[in-house]
Amino acid sequence: MKDTTEEVIDRSAKIVVSFFVASAGLWLLVAALLAYIAAAKLTDPFFLASFEYFTYGKVKVAQANAFVYGWGGNSIFASTLWILARLSQVEVRGRIMLLFAGTLWNLAITFGLLGILDGHMNAHEMLEMPTIVWPVLFISYAVIAFLALVIHRSRKHSDTIAPQWFVLASLIWFPALFLIAWNGLEINPARGTLPSVLSLWFGQSLIWLWLTPMALGAAYYIIPSILGRAIDKYYLAIFGFWCIAALAPWSVVHHLEGGPVPMWIPAIGTVMSIAMIFPIAVASTNFHATAFRDIGKVWNNLPLRFVIFGTISYTLSSYIGVIFSLPDVAKLTQFSIINEFHFNQRVYGFFSMIIFGMVYHMLPKITGKEIGKSAKSFHFWTSAFGVLILLLAYLIGGLTHGVLAQQSSLDWSSSVISSVQPYFIITKYAFVILGFSQLVFVINIWKVIFPNPFALFLASSNEQKGKTA
Amino acid sequence: MNNIFKFSFGILSTLGFAWLAFVVGANLQFGDLSPEAEYFEDNGSRPTDAELFPKDMPGLAKQGAEEYLALGCVSCHTQQVRLFTNKDAEGNKIVEAGIDIQRGWGKRASMARDYILQDHVMLGNTRIGPDLANFGLNEYDNAWLHQHLFEPQSLVPDSICPPSPFLYDISQKPKDGTITVSPPAGSSGDENKTRYVIPSIRANRIVAYLRALKQDYELPESPFVETDEEIIEPNATRIQSIPDWVNYPASPKSLVDISEQMSAGKEVYTKIGQGGGGCVTCHQPTGLGVPLAFPPLAASDWVKGDKDRLIKISLYGLMGEIEVNGVKYNGVMAAPGMPPGSLTDQQVADVLTFIRNSWGNSASAVSPSEVSEVRESIKDRTPMKMWTAEELLSHSKIEQ
Repeated sequence: MKDTTEEVIDRSAKIVVSFFVASAGLWLLVAALLAYIAAAKLTDPFFLASFEYFTYGKVKVAQANAFVYGWGGNSIFASTLWILARLSQVEVRGRIMLLFAGTLWNLAITFGLLGILDGHMNAHEMLEMPTIVWPVLFISYAVIAFLALVIHRSRKHSDTIAPQWFVLASLIWFPALFLIAWNGLEINPARGTLPSVLSLWFGQSLIWLWLTPMALGAAYYIIPSILGRAIDKYYLAIFGFWCIAALAPWSVVHHLEGGPVPMWIPAIGTVMSIAMIFPIAVASTNFHATAFRDIGKVWNNLPLRFVIFGTISYTLSSYIGVIFSLPDVAKLTQFSIINEFHFNQRVYGFFSMIIFGMVYHMLPKITGKEIGKSAKSFHFWTSAFGVLILLLAYLIGGLTHGVLAQQSSLDWSSSVISSVQPYFIITKYAFVILGFSQLVFVINIWKVIFPNPFALFLASSNEQKGKTA
Repeated sequence: MNNIFKFSFGILSTLGFAWLAFVVGANLQFGDLSPEAEYFEDNGSRPTDAELFPKDMPGLAKQGAEEYLALGCVSCHTQQVRLFTNKDAEGNKIVEAGIDIQRGWGKRASMARDYILQDHVMLGNTRIGPDLANFGLNEYDNAWLHQHLFEPQSLVPDSICPPSPFLYDISQKPKDGTITVSPPAGSSGDENKTRYVIPSIRANRIVAYLRALKQDYELPESPFVETDEEIIEPNATRIQSIPDWVNYPASPKSLVDISEQMSAGKEVYTKIGQGGGGCVTCHQPTGLGVPLAFPPLAASDWVKGDKDRLIKISLYGLMGEIEVNGVKYNGVMAAPGMPPGSLTDQQVADVLTFIRNSWGNSASAVSPSEVSEVRESIKDRTPMKMWTAEELLSHSKIEQ
């Protein structure tokens, strides 16, 4: 009886989830291409130099936006809908509305990215897409979030569990963050450095309060469901959740250390960053204590291997983040390419890896087709290898950059930046590896979603023939 | 946790506390900063008739900020000078100059007050290029800045700053108003010949912005830092790194004057009656003209192209059939001015510079000497005899 319910739910989610996963994959490729262009421009400033559309600054910003809103947004929608439907044991409803809102979301991002490349960038972190696309993005998000909440409200059991808290929090936090930032930056804009504080707060909180809870929720869902055992020390999860809710919005402002803002802002950021040790420790204990009871299964099950890679990455990156928020360290590395390390660690090493696992877990269930094991495995190893190289290059390069920049006797471009140059070259090749890996991922999922595109094409052309006849 | 409304209330209030601090609290604390004198009297009052800082940027520089933003310069350049206090052996607070000041990136720490008049505050978070908060303190002339913007590698061989050739008209021969750009060091081959470039209005805006970036005044909360540590004077390092073969041209006049010419030209364009051109009546404030009646100036090859032709039209007027942007017009345009043809060389130069650099047009400025040259060359022409498009086109063919 239970199986049939799940089958019904999966069938109801099929088209919507496939749509979001397929578009997420396309955005991933766009982001990979832009990441390569940006990295290549750092190693050779004359690369594409005569095209105004591809200045380094524009490409860099477009890449981050394609990655977070294109890949992140779509995959969050897919995972949220499926996890909530499965846990509530209700079907996904309002599918036409979901598809419509999803199309709108993707169109808005397309226009937004073209707007950035065409020179209509905003000066706000992670809100760089031109002003006009934001209302559209917000409305389409609101529709999707509303329908996801409807699923949750009609759930069969009133008790909620950890994955639901995290997924719902991520769902609700994003529009709240957006409205706060939009009000303070566009509707009632303040003067001077106030918007800078707000936009930095938004840009960093977006990663902490939108991507992070989603990925944690997916991990809380997937680890017990594949391993078939309860989360170890589950009673800590609620403490971890509220710690993130209470501390994360405060901790992100430590990036303003020494900046033209009152001193309490970075100071409170540093204190709260250090306090973040608690929620990180909770999540880490929950995931790893559970996973390491059955490490053989984790190793053999590819979705789970992706997820555990992500959770380990989360633990490490968060602890490293704590170290880099200390004022004495921040003084050195604050403006170095260590920022790239933090961003990629968080959105690639942690968020994306968990989502890859999530997609590999979810797609075979909703489409009823298996993805080739060797193809998945190839994707895992290239991704893991590429990400490690990328992060090591940014970490070591960032330290080099930061420390050498402190020597005023060293000339800026001929000594400081030249010493970082080798790391730029490494990151360029890492992005090639990652791009290749992402291409494999997209082929993997597209093969499952559109098993025979030719057949689909034939069917539609037959239909047209039928209409004309 | 089980009631979605209570749950939402909980997670939104944690967010709300942060909002109260970083938006509401911060706004109450320093949202009302205003320009201030450089120091206070001993009794804490502002000295009478003291000059207030920061000062507003020139209009051209503000436009430059938009270009700076659009090109994404903020991805690599910060605009904030940091200062950290440290403790000495006895635990007393001491102020160190800190690396930003030692590098010559500023004379003091940047303060919130420094930014209150800027439309786009671009503090930045990564320094792949140097900090620019005080870039205007460097004594570069416009030609150096244009050369650097056009191709940084021609001045700083190791720079990885991307060139911006799309902001310049490139010509192979030196002309009036061109800036000489030498090939990057160590390069050879045909494509690396010396180039002569004419900055567009956008390039001029960016240069004006870069020159306007300076915190060269003291604030009560941030005096200049005095230190025994070695400080690199602004300009010094980078002047060293300029190879001696770089041709350092005198700043062409056309670059300096363009902002004045633009505003003077706009006045000629819009003013109707004595001393004005009255262009606006037909060509409209948008430069788009009137469909089928008066041709547009925006994106018109007649406007952006040959200056001679344009000057001739401004002196004698134009009649008959003319094709602009693929559309044929047939009308009469008397020479601008009241009475027609009464504009001075300076006025003609200003208004032409204005129309060549407005509404998305971007072309070189017109100087009064160019106007007087043309006036001299056609002085035998019957007064008030308008040109026809055909006549003008045949002229330029003969010259070619």
